[in-house]
Amino acid sequence: MSFTTVLRDDFKNTRRSHVVLGVIAALTGFVSLITYSDAEFHADAFRALFDVAFFFFLVFPLILVPLTYLAVAGDRERGSIKHALGLPNTRAEYVLGKYASRTAVAIAAVFVSVLAAFLIGIGMYETTIAVERFVVFAAISSLFVASMTAIFVAISTLASKRSRAMFGVIGAFFLLGPFWFGILPVVSLQSVVTNIADFLGLELSQTTFNYVRFGSPATAYLAGLQPVFDGALDPEQYPRLTETYRSTSDELYAEAWYNYAIMTAWGALALGASYVRFRVAELG
Amino acid sequence: MTAIQTDGLTKRFGEDVLAVDSLDLTVEDGEVFGFLGPNGAGKSTTINVILGFLKPTAGSVRVLERDVTRDSLGIRQRIGLLPEGYEPYANLTGREHVESAIHAKNADDDPDVLLDRVGLEPDARDRAASEYSTGMAKRMSLAVALVGEPELIILDEPSTGLDPEGVSLLREIIREETERGASVFFCSHILEEVEKVCDRVGILNQGELVALDTIDNLRTEIQAGATVSATLDAVPDALNIERVDGVRDATVDDRTVAVECVEPAAKMRVLRHLDDRATVEDVGIEEASLEALFSEYTNEDADDAVDDGDTEPAIRAAAADGGESA
Repeated sequence: MSFTTVLRDDFKNTRRSHVVLGVIAALTGFVSLITYSDAEFHADAFRALFDVAFFFFLVFPLILVPLTYLAVAGDRERGSIKHALGLPNTRAEYVLGKYASRTAVAIAAVFVSVLAAFLIGIGMYETTIAVERFVVFAAISSLFVASMTAIFVAISTLASKRSRAMFGVIGAFFLLGPFWFGILPVVSLQSVVTNIADFLGLELSQTTFNYVRFGSPATAYLAGLQPVFDGALDPEQYPRLTETYRSTSDELYAEAWYNYAIMTAWGALALGASYVRFRVAELG
Repeated sequence: MTAIQTDGLTKRFGEDVLAVDSLDLTVEDGEVFGFLGPNGAGKSTTINVILGFLKPTAGSVRVLERDVTRDSLGIRQRIGLLPEGYEPYANLTGREHVESAIHAKNADDDPDVLLDRVGLEPDARDRAASEYSTGMAKRMSLAVALVGEPELIILDEPSTGLDPEGVSLLREIIREETERGASVFFCSHILEEVEKVCDRVGILNQGELVALDTIDNLRTEIQAGATVSATLDAVPDALNIERVDGVRDATVDDRTVAVECVEPAAKMRVLRHLDDRATVEDVGIEEASLEALFSEYTNEDADDAVDDGDTEPAIRAAAADGGESA
């Protein structure tokens, strides 16, 4: 009963703010633009999902920031938490209710934007559109945003001030996304791991490094999208797509389920760890 | 059954800040208890411990016979809270805030009945709480506190922001709730309000409980008393009003005699004394304000004075001018 009280209140409160509209509109706008633009270069609509996936990986977490960073920190700073926790709601129910509410909005944004991409695909691409690829893409993307939302809400739960929550969430985004993936060659996980290995006189195998590399929810998301493109890998028509998802490795990180487990574990551990602190936190 | 019992409650923040120091307090079942103190005295900290928001550094707190550190959820099921210094959820309506409490407590209250009681106008109930004035938000919070017929109602600065009609309604609600059998813990710095509704008061200063009694008894204890002002047709030469039992001092200004009494019964003795010696044309009685009491107990110099009985100058001034000097 209490979990649903918090969930219902927070969902209503969030849904009526401009943040939700902004998140859904921004995501749908960008995804529509990507799908529309890709039609000029590719015959199959699902190819646009490859570019949308990278956009989700790199930009969607930033769009989630305004939706999540004040989930708990904002209540603590405004004192609204006294309403929720002055009632017979447990702290666990409070955190989970907040998380479920914000995740529902994020997942709704995923489905609306993918639906927009699907509709554009029907109108603008030459070949028959594969509904199941869009559905699978939306499902895996939902797992990704659920994981990132959990991490961000966890940071919000640990922070007692909105400024700390903001810095924490932005830092987590950079660490788990651009840094882990290695978008900036110098400031990247690869350079850090390599330097540490050199310092310790160790030689790191590519397999070991790949386990580290696919250990972030963001990189696991990209790796876990493999089922979306099953049976569609053609090195001549789609060389980049094929190069990314044609795996010859037998290692776990090449398995879709393993990447889903990584995303799930990050979300669960982040929320769990934050709750352990929040359970005994002083809220006065 | 006691509503609230603290035994040696101590709360420290870090090594340096002692917010509450060995607080022993008992709020009886069905009692309206006023909890007073200046800013920073430790009132909010005490309430936050009672609610389970803060953990005591030492000592214990039992609410409705349950330990707050072990059964906070069970306690919150049975209490109503009007918190101080918080913003409601901006995009929820007043009605939805009340529905939230009904849902959480699994109660069967009608939100409109509660909102009627607190005087939140029907056309405001479905507006976002962010559009509410302070007084409207306070009425809404009071309705939330009343959900589920709580056994204990904790009101933290409930009068702040309320208009006079709202304050009057608040007093009426407190009276109704205590008639129902609820206990009320009334935390306020508006001393006049505490005086009007509370059976007993506790005054907290620098984390320590410096006074605990009924207001009348506190007045008597520090001999705050009252000032009787009488206008006579003529002031006799040998009035000798200072000799009346219970009179501390008297002054004469033209035909008006101002007599400071240290005990309630002295007022009538003074009037009889005057009536025997002159024609009394007009009479006024001014009780020493609660502010005077408050000042006595929370002012460091006055604390010492209470202990050694040297309270008269401060009380005298306060009694004479209705507390303006306190």
